[in-house]
Amino acid sequence: MTPFRFAAVSTVSEASEMLRADAAGSRLIAGGTDLLSEIKEGIVQPQTVVSLQNVGGMREIVAGTDGMRLGAMATLTELEGHAEIRRSYAALAEAAASVATPQIRNVGTLGGNLCQRPRCWYYRSAAFDCRKKGGSICFAINGNSKYHAILGGGDCVIVHPSDLAVALVSLRARATIAGPGGERSMALEEFFAGPQVDIMRETVLQPGDVLTHVSLPAPSPNWRSVFMKSRERQAQDFALVSVAAAMEVADGAVRDARITLGGVAPVPYRVRQAEEALQGAAVASVDPARLGEMAVAGARPLRDNHYKAPLASNLVRRAVTLLLQDGA
Amino acid sequence: MTTTADRTTKTNRKYRVIGTRPIRHDGHDKVTGRAKYGADIQLAGLLFGAVLRSPHPHARIRSIDTSKAAALPGVKAVMTGKDLPEKATPPGNFMETLADPQVLTENVMARGKVLYKGHAVAAVAAVDRHVAEEALELIEVDYEVLPHVLDVREAMKPGAPILHEDLRTRTTAQMPGDTPDTDGPTNIASHVQFVQGDVAQGFKEADAIVERTFETKPVHQGYIELHNSTASWSTDGNLTIWKSTQGPFIVRHQVACILNLPPSQIKVVPMEIGGGFGGKINTYTDAVAAVLSKKTGHPVQVVMSRKDVFEGTGPTSATHMRAKIGATKDGRITAVEVNLTYAAGGFPGSPVGSGAGTCLAPYKVENLKIDGYDVVVNEPKSAAYRAPGSPQAAFAVEPVIDELADKLGMDPMEFRLKNATRTGDRQASGVPFPSIGCVEVEEAMINHPHYKAPLEGPNRGRGVALGYWGNAGMNSSATINVTPNGSITLVTGSVDIGGSRPALAMQAAEVLGLAAEDVHPSVGDTDSVGYTGVTGGSRTTFATGIAVIKAAEDVRDQMIKRAALVWETQPEDVEFKDGVFTSKKNPEDTLTFQKLASRLMGTGGPVTASASADPKQVGPSFSGMIVDVEVDPETGKVDILRATLFQDVGTAVHPSYVEGQMQGGAVQGIGWALNEEYFYGDNGVMANSSFLDYRMPTSLDLPMVEPVVIEVPNPGHPFGLRGVGESSIVSPMAAIANAISHAIGQRLTTLPMSPTVVREALVNGDK
Amino acid sequence: MTASSKATITLTVNHQAHRLEVEHPWTLLHVLRDLLDLTGTKRGCDRAECGACTVLLDGVPVYACQMLALQVGGRAVVTIEGLGDVQHLDPLQQAFLDNDGAQCGYCTPGFVLSAKALLDQNPDPTELEIRRALSGNLCRCNAYGRIIESVKAAAQLLSEAQPRP
Repeated sequence: MTPFRFAAVSTVSEASEMLRADAAGSRLIAGGTDLLSEIKEGIVQPQTVVSLQNVGGMREIVAGTDGMRLGAMATLTELEGHAEIRRSYAALAEAAASVATPQIRNVGTLGGNLCQRPRCWYYRSAAFDCRKKGGSICFAINGNSKYHAILGGGDCVIVHPSDLAVALVSLRARATIAGPGGERSMALEEFFAGPQVDIMRETVLQPGDVLTHVSLPAPSPNWRSVFMKSRERQAQDFALVSVAAAMEVADGAVRDARITLGGVAPVPYRVRQAEEALQGAAVASVDPARLGEMAVAGARPLRDNHYKAPLASNLVRRAVTLLLQDGA
Repeated sequence: MTTTADRTTKTNRKYRVIGTRPIRHDGHDKVTGRAKYGADIQLAGLLFGAVLRSPHPHARIRSIDTSKAAALPGVKAVMTGKDLPEKATPPGNFMETLADPQVLTENVMARGKVLYKGHAVAAVAAVDRHVAEEALELIEVDYEVLPHVLDVREAMKPGAPILHEDLRTRTTAQMPGDTPDTDGPTNIASHVQFVQGDVAQGFKEADAIVERTFETKPVHQGYIELHNSTASWSTDGNLTIWKSTQGPFIVRHQVACILNLPPSQIKVVPMEIGGGFGGKINTYTDAVAAVLSKKTGHPVQVVMSRKDVFEGTGPTSATHMRAKIGATKDGRITAVEVNLTYAAGGFPGSPVGSGAGTCLAPYKVENLKIDGYDVVVNEPKSAAYRAPGSPQAAFAVEPVIDELADKLGMDPMEFRLKNATRTGDRQASGVPFPSIGCVEVEEAMINHPHYKAPLEGPNRGRGVALGYWGNAGMNSSATINVTPNGSITLVTGSVDIGGSRPALAMQAAEVLGLAAEDVHPSVGDTDSVGYTGVTGGSRTTFATGIAVIKAAEDVRDQMIKRAALVWETQPEDVEFKDGVFTSKKNPEDTLTFQKLASRLMGTGGPVTASASADPKQVGPSFSGMIVDVEVDPETGKVDILRATLFQDVGTAVHPSYVEGQMQGGAVQGIGWALNEEYFYGDNGVMANSSFLDYRMPTSLDLPMVEPVVIEVPNPGHPFGLRGVGESSIVSPMAAIANAISHAIGQRLTTLPMSPTVVREALVNGDK
Repeated sequence: MTASSKATITLTVNHQAHRLEVEHPWTLLHVLRDLLDLTGTKRGCDRAECGACTVLLDGVPVYACQMLALQVGGRAVVTIEGLGDVQHLDPLQQAFLDNDGAQCGYCTPGFVLSAKALLDQNPDPTELEIRRALSGNLCRCNAYGRIIESVKAAAQLLSEAQPRP
């Protein structure tokens, strides 16, 4: 492990300034479960690790009339166990509970989970100078691609690893970023960026940017959500494919729907065609299987991941069926 | 499950102690964190070593420049393969060794060529682990990268990259002329062949024939404790090594070979071991730590990283296999042909021989031909893994047996029982079976409620398969000392990996009429006890048990003499029963073992006894699994609904540990069946060398496996023991494959049967 | 190469306060094993993937290998050496002993501590809750069944020791 300096700042702007001043040599640390793996593996070698642990208020989870505000330093355990999240944002609680292991959920944070780097084994090994590390080859495209993207990959076929992101995008979360130019906020799905935007990153964060919190809109009484994750081990595993669906059903019709897939693309992947088909549809007329097929339209599987498209279709079908039953 | 309440319940009425469940002697230290493992050792002046490993799967080393690393502050020594004697020299052939010493030397540190990614090329010792790791980055190695080969079939083709220019196929075939060309360089290290009867004629007599090919990936033993060595080389030339190993005497022998030292100058101190499963037999970093210690004058500790363990220590062999079996309408097997190709890794030595020797063990077959090929490829040198070689071969044979029974319209167990081997039948090698319990295991399976229980619902299936392991004998030593209060100390050379301390103590207690708690068992270092073979081959409780029993009998006889002395009579006149000595002449004269023990100093001094064992009648172990699965047709995920593991254990000494071994093997088999595999990139680099990406089962992934203990005593052991550690891993892969095929109507022929593979089979059909 | 920066932290380990000088990149595992000689906490992967290094941080289980010492300054750590006392095993240790919850023993301290955190919060867990709470600890001897039985037995021991009103 390359030596580094650990700097626990007391304000976000202090962190922002340090990160901006040395964009190449500094990294933000929250729980550290992901960053320390990268440092130990030698794929990042920061001079300075900037910690937010002493910044006040960043761990707060606040429920108000206009929704919830989730501090970026809140742990996954706290999200998983929060009564209001369990009641009104079930997909988020389920996603948080599905992450890794209890030990990691006790330390890992919301911000860290959203900003974690991909689990592509070629990226994670210093033995592969892959495109995401500045090299010229994506080893997965012609290599072991079992866990890689079937949609939207292009030159780098990672899948986004965050379970929370999938749930939060379907729950219409917004991300707030504090940066050198002040604070800005955006729909969470715009927070993520595929390799087409910048192959070296998975988010729109610029040097000096700090994700400070995520906000959720107030739930309507008829809103339901669900998160489902298919994986090879029932703990300590990332999604082969995951789905988060959120739906408002009233008077026998779908008022609003959001469906997001994880494990299929370099970003949380919104299934807009299926969402549009659901919009305003009478519950009785919905064909969940058809929606499942729509979800993976245009998928281009690699050598080892042909299973993903049908798996994603099935998960979408199951999620939609479940929510329609719940809402009926 | 055992509870405290049934600890005293005896499963075996014949014995006082055998068959009970005392608390393990090492339990307190393990639950309090006091147990000392190899990396826990603390020594004054300890330095930390780190090993540089090859980034290429196959390359020639042009040069190594260690000067920058040596100059880093805190670095105390640097070494390369040149610091080891060029020729490994065995100190006589008194002892068994499990691998060619020259191969071991070159595997410990490459010279000339690296043969796999992860092959050690240099090492440093420094004041702490961080500096040592930093120094590795400063070592400059100039490699000439060579083409590499990973797949056994590719490696056998003409024109394949050759790993060892001097390698020629060693043939142990019975029929010459049927072996590959051995004139030129080859990657086929050996060809083993067993032939009996007339296979062509046998297939002519068959009414039904099934033939399939199978493939398996490398899988790792997966022990949680990392490999470690701590070495201290004294100025008088004596070398002490503290480490995690299954065989301290094997390490002593191997290090003696590698460093050209007399074995008496090396003391290996086995620490507690955090799992081994066969993977902690051969030496890896011991000579490295030793040389670094010699260079620095300090003790040096080397602990591998998890990545090093995956990339530098043995997985078990990947395989390519074919099995063809024919039978008559009434269910008699007429002929079997099996072809096994096992990946050895960078150096010869896959367990293909034991695969060939065991795969037909459950069946009496007149006409058979088994060919096994040991093929070198650019992967880590394969190492033993629980019943090495047998699980793969069973994965080729047992599904074909199942399919054949299907084809004949017979119940799969009925078909097996009809062809079951019995004591005295010839094994594939031609050697007759000693006393075995094959039929007893099969009958227990057929009569178990699980086999008769209804299994309904779509996508569900039940599978059965048999397993076999021959078990090892080898040599063991034990020493017993009687203490004045009548408790005894028991020192053996067997590392305790699965409960052997209590199981050995119980055998001594049985002989001496003591309670298991009166025996204090410990694992000796190589200076304090006689030569003892590896803890492996399911031999320890059996073979070391025999040494323990002999030592205990010697103690008993010495104690009888002391009692005779006390009573001024002859030893023949002293009877010993249930821990009490009685004078036959005067039955009022009695002495308990404890009482007599307190009088030893006045009757001739301490009683101590040492014995060694060279058992000839090893008891092989048959096993079998019944498993119910449910396949999710949408995700391909396989859920185990119920699993029952049957095994002939001879006599269960400590039933809890016997069951623990059975469940442990079964569950490793389940992981092998459903999840575990090495993924290699095209560049020959393992892509998943971490516990995150190499998916071992967690507490949420496993069913309870019900163990059914079958006791067919082995006449080769005074209490009837057979080895129990390995047989249990042999059948699960095949049983699960058979269950899946009954659930989905497709035959799966590759491991692991992960959701992706199952789904592909569902979509694409039978391949 | 830059030399590592050093800092001083306070850390309560097994109810005893320590003042420690640490280098910035040092992990909690390194501090526990190499500075405080608490070798009951094991290294199995050094990547938060096996659970052998599990300790309790302010009462909840964490992986000591993947936390920096500087992340835990001022907080309270309990290792396996901090359970029970000289005279008595903790009920969980007793239950693991009685039910053969330890085989090779290397993963045992981590399992005991994960179970400790569970029972502190939930004295009467279901089997699924136990399995979930232990899902961050790998056991390759596959003593999971006995480990789960041990936790159930410990819950029983605890409820007998402290009958709830």
